[in-house]
Amino acid sequence: MAAAEAKELQQLPLVLGDKKYDNVTRDIIAPVETFPKKLWWIAFSVALTVFGVHMTAIAVVVGTGLGLLGINNPVGWGTFIINFVFWIGIGHAGTLISAVLYVFRQQWRTAINRSAEAMTIFAVACAGIFPNIHVGRLWFIFWAMPYPNERGVLWPNFRSPLVWDVFAISTYLTISLVFWYAGLVPDFASIRDRIKESDAVQKIRKSVYSVLSLGWVGSTRAWAHYEAMAMILAGLSFPLVLSVHSIVSFDFATSVIPGWHTTIFPPYFVIGAIFSGFGMVLTLLIIMREVFHFQDYITIKHLENMAKVTMLTGSLVGLAYSTEFFMAWYSGSPFEGFAFINRMFGPYWWAYWIMVSCNVITPQLFWFKSIRTNPTLLWIISIFVNIGMWFERYVIVVTSLHRDYLPSSWDMYIMTNWDFAILIGSFGMFFTLFLLFVRVFPAIAIAEIKMVMKSPGAKGFGH
Amino acid sequence: MKFDPATYKITDGGKFGRIMLVTGLIGLALAAVGFAVDREHFFFAYLTAFTFWVTIALGALFFVMLQHLTSSTWSVVIRRIVESLTAPLPWLFLLFIPLLFGLHQLYEWSHADVVAADAVLKAKSGFLNPTFFTIRAVVYFAVWCGLAHFLYHASVAQDSGHREEHRKRMRTLSAPGMIIFVITTTFAGWDWLMSLDPHWYSTIFGVYFFSGGLWAILATIVIVVALLQRRGVLTKEITVEHYHDLGKLLFGFTIFWTYIGFSQYFLQWYANIPEETKWYLNRWVGSWKAVSMVILWGHFVLPFGILIFRGVKRSPRLLMIMAVYCVVMHWVDHYWMAFPTLNKDGVHFSWIEIAATVGIGGIFVWAFWTKFISRAVIPVADPHLNESINFRNM
Repeated sequence: MAAAEAKELQQLPLVLGDKKYDNVTRDIIAPVETFPKKLWWIAFSVALTVFGVHMTAIAVVVGTGLGLLGINNPVGWGTFIINFVFWIGIGHAGTLISAVLYVFRQQWRTAINRSAEAMTIFAVACAGIFPNIHVGRLWFIFWAMPYPNERGVLWPNFRSPLVWDVFAISTYLTISLVFWYAGLVPDFASIRDRIKESDAVQKIRKSVYSVLSLGWVGSTRAWAHYEAMAMILAGLSFPLVLSVHSIVSFDFATSVIPGWHTTIFPPYFVIGAIFSGFGMVLTLLIIMREVFHFQDYITIKHLENMAKVTMLTGSLVGLAYSTEFFMAWYSGSPFEGFAFINRMFGPYWWAYWIMVSCNVITPQLFWFKSIRTNPTLLWIISIFVNIGMWFERYVIVVTSLHRDYLPSSWDMYIMTNWDFAILIGSFGMFFTLFLLFVRVFPAIAIAEIKMVMKSPGAKGFGH
Repeated sequence: MKFDPATYKITDGGKFGRIMLVTGLIGLALAAVGFAVDREHFFFAYLTAFTFWVTIALGALFFVMLQHLTSSTWSVVIRRIVESLTAPLPWLFLLFIPLLFGLHQLYEWSHADVVAADAVLKAKSGFLNPTFFTIRAVVYFAVWCGLAHFLYHASVAQDSGHREEHRKRMRTLSAPGMIIFVITTTFAGWDWLMSLDPHWYSTIFGVYFFSGGLWAILATIVIVVALLQRRGVLTKEITVEHYHDLGKLLFGFTIFWTYIGFSQYFLQWYANIPEETKWYLNRWVGSWKAVSMVILWGHFVLPFGILIFRGVKRSPRLLMIMAVYCVVMHWVDHYWMAFPTLNKDGVHFSWIEIAATVGIGGIFVWAFWTKFISRAVIPVADPHLNESINFRNM
């Protein structure tokens, strides 16, 4: 009866394979407790090398000057701003999964929130580098902070969206970090409790995880506080999902540049950010579930749900593109019209059409269940999403600037090797951090997974 | 009114439907007097009333599709109510027709001589012209009525015994339905309200139009549920937990509406391009300034400050008061969008607005009510019904 009823209600279990609580702990902690395999070392050394390239290239560019880059007049914003927006966007899926889906009671989020949030934090870290080096004189970046200073009346311009960015992103990073860390505390305690202090290394591990777990013992009282705190943090993070990328969009939309100044930018940027974030989550988690044998936790159902979110957000991004295009015509303004015709058919037509085909057309494949339940195809499409969203920022930044109001000042933007090195290098940084994360932290929230499992002996819907 | 708790049917709807119909007809008749008195004012009043009611019905349509797509269980008990709230759509189509006779009073772009003398209007005359405007409206209503019809019938078909295909049909319809809904609603917002000022444009306007409707439908659901419960309908099935969830959504979409409205205002204010800022400048003249302030404080600050409290969301009485307030604010928002085009110097409120709103509203409520009492008041055979009734918030 119970099975028939479950089938009838289509309540696919969120954890497969008839697991007990003990299996869950063991399965998820396994990669943390075993010495890394060859595959991890190879991946890590590649990532670390690329990260090294990143840092070196940055050092050279900062040391020599921004002339090494492709930026010119009129394209004063180049890859640094493109990469900044790209990485900030990537982060959004993590917050959406951890906070918004939590508030909306979507229990499937528990298997993916930990890694997605880690991804958020690392992506924001990658993003944070770019505005700092974009200003050219890295050592003066603290001028963006408002504080009573010895420079007299010199304060940051509070009317500048670039200053709002400083606040929006640091708030975002702080809340994400706190939310992520708070969720990790019970899991750190689980790792701590399983360590047998057999030798010096294990003793060190034990003390490290003891400190990280903040003395968590898992009393009922502690859990009650913990759940209340999770709800409050989720409530605080929810508006951040909207605010951060809205403010990033203000960097463009408060200007009077056709292609930048349009009122739909804030929600359109947020949707695009969620879209790109889910693309990256799919890219990472499909590999992770294979390598760590997490197929019973990150099930096909989870992947399918993520594919649906990707399809929805991809279509909404397409709606935003069409809206902008239509309004450019409807406005009757020749400048608006030119900006969009130039995007589609000007010298950067290829970037525009890569963007449209990757972001709007490719996700439509997810209408087919056979495609959205096939991890290999999902992974391939997720790569297209990543590419498409990078090009979206490229299109917005470059095509809007390279032909401005004055035809005599028109110019082309061509990326130099330094631009490429820093772009590719940022992926090295991201993957280095992510690979370290999966080594030392449980990549799935153990305690939360147990809450959505059927409790042993329970007949109904579990917790 | 008689309610049979065993079959979940309202066996006798009483006089309510007829009273509403008569009220609506009287309202429309009075509005027709308004037409004779002041033709221009009448059409603006009628447009305000029409877009006010149509956005509520559209909100209902969106809500139903959203629940299907997300497989929500908490909302199963209120699903039939919301489905029935889409029933007025065909009547609203009928009530749209009078607007076609007021195009000259309402829309500057409908005057061929004005367009001929204005380069910008000429450029968009391929889109803004009476024929295409009418065709588009027919398409919108065909889409909306079609979606509402199929979703409602798929849902009542389930009442005589659930089969998996019922759910499947509702879900498969909702996914593409959502897409065409979003496109048609966006265009409807541009057509009916944005083009009142044909030189002005804002890419986010369609989202603004939609977000207000979604906010208002949540308030409307609360009102309908609370009134039904006073008459002893669904008193055990819809609990304080459902009120709490509706309250949370109402609170959330208060913020969403504000976010969209702010994005539009802020970006136009900041860039300070005359052709954009004039829309807000028109709403800053004379007594319109006060209405703009009412929008800011009344549509956002006050409901935000009150609905944030858990106690308000869990008190059917307080939530009902807030819901009525929100619906009134939704009306003010539409008044604020439409009327400054006519009354450029300030607010000239008249009884015609009330007559038109009550007139269309009477028909709206009557259409809802006759549909609602024709079937069981909840989806009796839905497999998630029990779960929905016993739903608890965390």
